[in-house]
Amino acid sequence: MLRFVGKRLALLPLVMLGVTVLLFALLQFLTPEMRAALYVKDPRQLAALEAIIQKHHLRDPLPIQYWSWLKQVLVGDLGYSETAKMPVADAIRAFFPATLELTFAAFFPILFIGVWLGTKSAVHKDKFVDHFSRFVAITGYSLPSFVLGLLLLMIFYGKMKMFAPGRYSLDVDLLVHSDEFRHVTGLLLVDSVLNWKWSVFWDVAKHLVLPSATLVYISMALLLRITRSSMLEELGKDYVRTARAKGLSERAVINKHARANALIPVVTLSSLLFVGLLGGVVITETVFDYPGIGRWGVNAAQQLDIPGVLGSALLSSLLFVVANMLADVAYALVDPRIRVQ
Amino acid sequence: MIRAFPALLALCLFTAPASAARSKNPDTLTRLGLSDADSLDPAWSYDTFSHEVIANVYDYLFMFEGGSVEKLIPLAAAKVPSRANGLISADGKTYTIPIRAGMVFHDGTPVTAEDVRYSILRFMLFDRDAGPSSLLLQPLVDRDSTRDSTGKIDPKVFADAAKAVQVDGDKVVLRLPKPFAPMLTVLASWAPVVSRKWVAEKGGWDGAEATWQKFNNPSKTSSPLHEAVMGTGPFKLERWDRNNKQIVLVRNDRYWRTPAKLKRVVIKAVSEFGTRKLMLQAGDADTITADRPVFSQLQNVPGVELIDDQQMLDMNPVAFFTFKIKETGNPYIGSGKLDGEGVPPDFFSDLDLRRAFAYSFDYKGFIKDVMRGKGTQATGCIPNTLPGHNPKQATYSLDLKKAEEHFRKARGGEVWEKGFRFTLSYNTGNVARETLCQILKRQVESINPKFKIDVRPLEWPTFLDAYKGSKLPVFIIGWNADFPDAHTFVFPMLHSRGDYPFTQRFKDERIDKLIDQALDETDLAKRKDLYAKVQALEYELVPHLVILDTVRFRTQRDWVKGWYHNPIFPDAPYGAYYYPIWKE
Repeated sequence: MLRFVGKRLALLPLVMLGVTVLLFALLQFLTPEMRAALYVKDPRQLAALEAIIQKHHLRDPLPIQYWSWLKQVLVGDLGYSETAKMPVADAIRAFFPATLELTFAAFFPILFIGVWLGTKSAVHKDKFVDHFSRFVAITGYSLPSFVLGLLLLMIFYGKMKMFAPGRYSLDVDLLVHSDEFRHVTGLLLVDSVLNWKWSVFWDVAKHLVLPSATLVYISMALLLRITRSSMLEELGKDYVRTARAKGLSERAVINKHARANALIPVVTLSSLLFVGLLGGVVITETVFDYPGIGRWGVNAAQQLDIPGVLGSALLSSLLFVVANMLADVAYALVDPRIRVQ
Repeated sequence: MIRAFPALLALCLFTAPASAARSKNPDTLTRLGLSDADSLDPAWSYDTFSHEVIANVYDYLFMFEGGSVEKLIPLAAAKVPSRANGLISADGKTYTIPIRAGMVFHDGTPVTAEDVRYSILRFMLFDRDAGPSSLLLQPLVDRDSTRDSTGKIDPKVFADAAKAVQVDGDKVVLRLPKPFAPMLTVLASWAPVVSRKWVAEKGGWDGAEATWQKFNNPSKTSSPLHEAVMGTGPFKLERWDRNNKQIVLVRNDRYWRTPAKLKRVVIKAVSEFGTRKLMLQAGDADTITADRPVFSQLQNVPGVELIDDQQMLDMNPVAFFTFKIKETGNPYIGSGKLDGEGVPPDFFSDLDLRRAFAYSFDYKGFIKDVMRGKGTQATGCIPNTLPGHNPKQATYSLDLKKAEEHFRKARGGEVWEKGFRFTLSYNTGNVARETLCQILKRQVESINPKFKIDVRPLEWPTFLDAYKGSKLPVFIIGWNADFPDAHTFVFPMLHSRGDYPFTQRFKDERIDKLIDQALDETDLAKRKDLYAKVQALEYELVPHLVILDTVRFRTQRDWVKGWYHNPIFPDAPYGAYYYPIWKE
């Protein structure tokens, strides 16, 4: 297993290198002057644009340009984001933890509820629970996230005054920006525990409820349906019949045998879902005024902030590659045949 | 899907529930606006969002009393100079301003007359491109820039400025080269008192003649006052949180007057109106920015007060054409050529083209449908609330036939034949400006399928940097009065050295001359006549499209007390001077 993981890890830099080549190739559609904007922090620097072009080899042959650009990317110099009014690396550091927190808050419920309901639905095919899960899947898949988000906001914030938008409330805002609060990870749930500030923890957790509930409902649909169909397929196979004939309990047949084999497509989908959430969920972040990376990425794209777009694309690619690798490892865990192959 | 968002939001909110009856934070006022500030340096900032903060953390020499735009009360000054009290000389050229005793900066250091002198000098000599420095350079040294037309610094400016602003004991004496009637009203909104010692310690200008050129026309972020404050105002800057687009002000308990009633003021940018409205209803916000198109969504909301029909001293919105667009690294002009996929840098220097655009906008429809019938079509850049406005001036109206004629003539017929594509920009969250863009786009694109306009919202600081960098072909913005005088509109909107024409690269010598003449003219009738001529040329040359003279409304929770409207105040009626405000 370790060898398998090692192989996958060894491939990671190569894949990332491929990604950088692709992004660099896309950059070549821009003129050297526009690419020079990657390095401009002050509009007045535009007067010395030629010097910037020279310094970064933007008119040199492609391999020289690529090497010069890659060196900067490797040391974390991704340029200056006009949208965030800070260097891209700082913007990622500022916005990513909020998205990471939201992703974790949404992903595990998606996974557990999706797999559980999908399994139940397959086992009780055409029964109430199956119809109910179909209803959940159809509404979740077809309902735009901003509609659901707004409805939840209206009910739970507007009417019941329970879950406000934003990342935290005003009192907590003052506390987390005071000297007595140490920012260690940027993840406020974690930092609040490290600071032993439970009021912050509960406040941040409360602010995560509605955006994560929106994401759970919207994103769970596909996972639920895939689990159901995969389970139905497995439940019809001979080994399940054999297991039942051997006298295994129905619970063991479903949980230990059928579901274990049905998980492979679920793992694939989960990794994609995870990356999708980490890349930022723009509409959810906008509706809930949540300062995540998705909102920044889309703002950067809207405002033709090339360094911002590039930084956000690089981050998404990195996350995708890592998540894919983790999915490969998960396949191997779920199905030993993959390890052997 | 995103486009359907506002409509759906409106539907959802139509059935919004009853509000909380009591304020959640009785000593904290939360205001939700559209955008983050650009810079907190009073010598750099020339935008309403930044100045709303500046006006609350600094003290000007004077301020307008209540809603008046004429009557002044002293702030950092101990008295308002007048001829009656002998502080303005008989010839109107010398102003003696006694400085208030016992005032301290936020760090506790005392304010001296030297600090006031330094603040005025710094405001003038900072002189960033298209910044506010000309507001004091003009009356005090009779020039509107510290640099010549080639951008070279004139080293003599310091001596002239130092001669014009002097300290006499605990008084500051201003010596004007010629009388300037609005002098005191300029000082009621500009050049607040900053701490010389603090700025110098933080690496800013130390006030010496030998060093001023180094700090002339600096980059925005190089100033120590860009994101920090050292003033004397009723509030101190607690934090500027750029990630959350939020500024937190805290009460200055050492204020020379009774400290403010509010302990904190939170000014936060929330671009979605729906979220702003929900937060207002829930009592998490006390006042929000809401423009006329969303008026009906705020009516009859329990606990929410709409204070309508506020007269304005502004011209908003206005569509500006950039005559010479900066081509370098500019993503807003497509290919940069007239090939149907872009526009060349001098695209809008063509008069026929600008007129074609002027005939392509539905002014009456905009006022009727977007502004819900509130306001009248503007006849020039001087608003109808100021002397100098000419109600008889001809205006453009929607006429697609005339528009087509002008489009066909533009650039010798090339525009009609090849078509164009460019980006039309406005600041994110401004619904009225967004709608203006969409109307203009729809009408222009309907004339010739080869005409393409991309409408793009930009975040406020990005928008300001882009237009000031002459990168935006056409941009929608507005202008608030710097002081209550027609000059504060004609100069920044039409004079070649004014804020917009400088960035547009628009220059007409006849207009410049008329504006300069009008500034010196003391006969009101003659001055009005000169401004009428300026507005006639404005109509003829179309450097921008003025749309309407408007009235606005303020949205606040009914527990907010003490607010008053002063049209001079930055971002009024949404922004406010928070000192007299409290919550019940």
